[in-house]
Amino acid sequence: MSLSVLDAINAVKAKGLAKLRPDRLRIAVGLGTCGAGNAAHEVLHALTEELSNKGVEARVTTVGCFGSCAEEPLVNITVPDKPMLILNKVRPQDAAEIVEALAYGKLPVRRALCKVESWDHITSTVDYGQGLEDVPHWHAIQFFNGQKKIVLRNCGLINPEDIEEYMAVGGYATYYQVLKNMTPELVIEQIKLAKLRGRGGAGFPTGNKWEILKNAKGDQKYIICNADEGDPGAYMNRNEIESDPHALLEGMMIGAYAMGATEAVVYIRAEYPLAVLRLRRALDEARSYGLLGTEILGTSTRLNIDLVEGAGAFVCGEETALIASLEGRAGRPRLRPPFPAQKGLWGKPTSINNVETWYNVVPIIAKGAEWFTQIGTKTCTGTKVFSLVGKVKNTGLVEMPQGTPLKKIIYDIGGGTGSSKKVKAVQTGGPSGGCIPAELFDSAVDYESLAAVGAIMGSGGMVVMDEDNCMVDVARFFVEFTHSESCGKCVPCRVGLDHALRLLRLVTDGTATIDDLAMLEELAGFIKDTALCGLGQTAPNPVLTTLKYFRDEYLEHIQQQRCAATVCEKLFVSPCENSCPIHLNIPGYLALVNAGRMEDAGTLIFLDNPLPASTGRVCQHPCESRCRRREIDQAVAIRDMHRFVVDTVFAQTSSEALARRLAEGRFKPTGHSIAVVGAGPAGLTTAFYLTLLGHKVKVYERQAAAGGMLRYALPEYRLPKAALDREIALIEDIGVEFAFNQTLGKDLALADLTSAHDAVVLAIGTWKEVALGIPGSDLPGVISAVHFLKDVALNQRADIGRKVIVIGGGNSAIDSARTAKRLGAEVTVVYRRGRSDMPAIVEEREAAEAEGVTFRFLAVPRRIIGSEGGGVGGTIRKLEVNIARLGEFDTFGRRIPESTDEMASIDCDTIIVAAGEKVDGDVVRKLNLQLGRNDKVAVDRLTLASNLDKVYAVGDVITGPANVVTAMGYGKQAAGIIDKQLTGRDRLGELRLEFNYPVVVPAEPMGGDRHVMQHLPATERHENFSEVTLGLNDADALAESSRCLRCDVKASPEAPVPLIVSAQPHNGHPHNGQEVRR
Amino acid sequence: MASLNAAEITVAQRLILDRQVAAHLGKPGAVLAILEALQQSDPHNYLPKSLILATARALRLPLAQMMSVVSFYSFFNQTPQGDHTVTICRGTACHTRGSRILLDTLRGTLDFAEQASAATEPTVLTTKDNKVTLRTVACFGQCAMAPVVDVDHTISGQMNRQKVLAAVEKLLR
Repeated sequence: MSLSVLDAINAVKAKGLAKLRPDRLRIAVGLGTCGAGNAAHEVLHALTEELSNKGVEARVTTVGCFGSCAEEPLVNITVPDKPMLILNKVRPQDAAEIVEALAYGKLPVRRALCKVESWDHITSTVDYGQGLEDVPHWHAIQFFNGQKKIVLRNCGLINPEDIEEYMAVGGYATYYQVLKNMTPELVIEQIKLAKLRGRGGAGFPTGNKWEILKNAKGDQKYIICNADEGDPGAYMNRNEIESDPHALLEGMMIGAYAMGATEAVVYIRAEYPLAVLRLRRALDEARSYGLLGTEILGTSTRLNIDLVEGAGAFVCGEETALIASLEGRAGRPRLRPPFPAQKGLWGKPTSINNVETWYNVVPIIAKGAEWFTQIGTKTCTGTKVFSLVGKVKNTGLVEMPQGTPLKKIIYDIGGGTGSSKKVKAVQTGGPSGGCIPAELFDSAVDYESLAAVGAIMGSGGMVVMDEDNCMVDVARFFVEFTHSESCGKCVPCRVGLDHALRLLRLVTDGTATIDDLAMLEELAGFIKDTALCGLGQTAPNPVLTTLKYFRDEYLEHIQQQRCAATVCEKLFVSPCENSCPIHLNIPGYLALVNAGRMEDAGTLIFLDNPLPASTGRVCQHPCESRCRRREIDQAVAIRDMHRFVVDTVFAQTSSEALARRLAEGRFKPTGHSIAVVGAGPAGLTTAFYLTLLGHKVKVYERQAAAGGMLRYALPEYRLPKAALDREIALIEDIGVEFAFNQTLGKDLALADLTSAHDAVVLAIGTWKEVALGIPGSDLPGVISAVHFLKDVALNQRADIGRKVIVIGGGNSAIDSARTAKRLGAEVTVVYRRGRSDMPAIVEEREAAEAEGVTFRFLAVPRRIIGSEGGGVGGTIRKLEVNIARLGEFDTFGRRIPESTDEMASIDCDTIIVAAGEKVDGDVVRKLNLQLGRNDKVAVDRLTLASNLDKVYAVGDVITGPANVVTAMGYGKQAAGIIDKQLTGRDRLGELRLEFNYPVVVPAEPMGGDRHVMQHLPATERHENFSEVTLGLNDADALAESSRCLRCDVKASPEAPVPLIVSAQPHNGHPHNGQEVRR
Repeated sequence: MASLNAAEITVAQRLILDRQVAAHLGKPGAVLAILEALQQSDPHNYLPKSLILATARALRLPLAQMMSVVSFYSFFNQTPQGDHTVTICRGTACHTRGSRILLDTLRGTLDFAEQASAATEPTVLTTKDNKVTLRTVACFGQCAMAPVVDVDHTISGQMNRQKVLAAVEKLLR
């Protein structure tokens, strides 16, 4: 090898470095496909224009993608001897400001995401410069923290269309060294020692694969790069090729030399046009620089690399199918053996490796096998690139050492869902992989650990799913995919997947039986065991893993025709309705309000919801978190709207008249009688529906009035008793009978009730406060939130001091705090977790803050100190807390509070404990009922029946403390079940009246921004219990009703509806008159 | 068999065919490359039967093998495509972010020549007036912007029902 070759390489390198670190300003715009999709071309254009307008000299160029897709478009800015700045989310209109700063010799540091002082390209290090203290280092950014860029070493930093920049960072130097100093045996030994395993998913040792080809007999050998990245949800190969095509070629060149191949092929997806384009250019460049062809770098080595575009067939990712495709046939796999290494392309020995495997070759040879084995785990060395997508805040490409726990990738790097929703599962490995539930996020991500939980690494797709994703639908989605991509050659895959899909569709349509589920499971196992190729053998994995970890969801679809995630369209009216435990027809009443039919809207609401004035004020409104209007601006104000309707109707109509209207639909008397114990939301709801269904219902209540927690725990300023009284009067008016001051176990015996009635419903709630369990908890002055709130509800006062501490983070903590504040106390809420982990309704917490309640987060109560050293009989002086800090994530993405050594004490004279409520064990334990954890009454999930004959239980007593509407949901469900039990018919659904309202979808969003209720100013809330929220006014309510996107109107091929209806009446389109009856 | 007469291909098609055959013959992936180039040169982005037969003859391959290739790969179209193409990505990330709703919305809205059915995926449907072809793709690799929709080779991310309807309405105008 002549000296001139090395000289030539060094000359190119020097030219490249002058481009990478020029003696003046360099601006590089990230132009991967994801950048381009976020207007990066426009940014580039705007920057170029501004530079020329302002006469600023700069080298403007493009680079690939740096990986953080959520931050696109990215722009790198370098000036000599300063760190490189990476600006994020740059818009074309920002160009002026950026260039303006640069024109004055300033760097736009405020716009920077991060800086790079020095970059390890593995094959060399580029030092940009030190300084710019205010800008964080790139690895200090959450998304990059912990990433190890080996495969992605050059991505987003060099121009992928310029071989000189690749050589500037040490590119092709390794190939030169290999040709000059290493035998093929030595190269293969290094790959073997590095324990590199195939990155396509199966993890076969690469060194062994190479050795087999090297030792294979044949005059012609082929190597192939499998870039047919077909896994939906995975795009790391696209980005690698788009951002750094030469590194792929160099890896292949070294491989070809080691294995003795002179012909190579890159088989790439046609769906990646930019990757194809850049790879084509890189091949041309490599040819013109003498890196391909004959007598490469002055040696006798020769190599040709062809590029072939696939034509959209997933199965071609299977190696024998890929070879068939290259040979000009349909891409159908064949049985192995013979393996491609024996009989491959055109019958010649062939070795096929995944894109990312090739990317690891140069680093291993350049830095040595030992360096590589120090990264990752013992058996899974090096890194893996993942495409982190789906319901995750920081989407993008993540390169992590193998063996990293899932929770680190999803919560630390990904930042969780970025919404109030919880992560439910992650799907790895595409259609061949599995769904891993959040409980297992401690699992490490390497070949063996993923296989142990039933998933696979696959190519590295990682799709995060949250509560809005239905796992049955996910299984169906993947089987739909593999079914349509099946080549049809073998029966298990062709016929088996077809049948599996049919069964899955029955489940998602709500028409499957338990037997179908058993059949599905058996079939999935059968396909796995008998299919011909990898596609068929792994296709059942998504079904098997969802059946294993999410069987409850399958059962819910089959037994209750419910899809809680609101995905399976046939099983719900609209997302809001489906997320409402009482299934309030929200689009229905909004449409009626919009049509000016207030009374009908009211009747519709009362029939779906017997306590609408209460829920209209205090509901946790799960409906709003599912409202699709959120995708455009904000959710429809669903809760405020139904409050508006009922307040309006109550103001206009007497409860007797309303009751008469509701009673119109009442069924004729059945002669059955039912006892309901407890007049809280669950009990009242059960009683309401059973009465309308024609049964005689008597409600027994321990207190002197009905309402339960609504009356005795919810403060007057949130729910005025007058509003509650009106709706309870209505329930009484339709014929529900009440007996007050009746305590179960004292005035009432369960046995007497069961003998006197046809069914007994226990709805006795959770009235006991969970004990705090710290020293000093039994001192006088320490009271429970339940008692405190009830005292205030009954007497408008309570025995508290001037300095009150509330311990807890739920709604009752906030209620207690705001109530104590109104009684004139100085209030501090102490909560052991962080602000964002507080389970209380956000608006309530904010209102408390506005009213002057102090919050101490991350404070763990340790001891209550009394005036006489904590002795009995003394008064309390202070609460001692342990200061916590946010520790590691738990598997559900909440940071675990970790105690520090630091203590603090807060002065107080009263402590209200709101650590949660539980079932009063003294009551239920005497009833021979089967009990679960925390004395909850155990019932059958489907029938709500307890172990005792005729006895059912609903609400908090079976769930533990939950919100009002959840308890009501159980009440409604129980009414339907008991009625069916007594009459033998399913009649609850028949209670609904029919309303005609328009079924049209607005062509564009109407009604503007969400309308907000007026609030009583915080300054006027002192020392009184006046209602804080004042309700919507008529005009706002009407406008708000038009904001509904009408998700209840569904367009599908089976049920076509006129979807685009003109939103503007003035352009002459007649309003579509079609209406639906329900 | 009149429609399969090789003589029916135009001079321009013959020219492209000959050039492609010369460039690729004997190389791995030659058949795919030639067919891809021929389809892209067609104004309606499809492979007429006559062209398939001519290609088979030029490559000295049985027509059966050529047809098996054309029908196997989803990239190849055997019917003329619409003036505009709307492609909905059905990758996993797009699916978890609601792409099925987008697909169903368009399938229920546009006036297709064939009966659309929810049971068929992947979808290739062309409207009666040949204006719009609605397709699905397994994955564009644009997962970070999910759900994505490609309208005439421009990809837009974070789509929803309203946005996709507005985009289609613009095409039909």
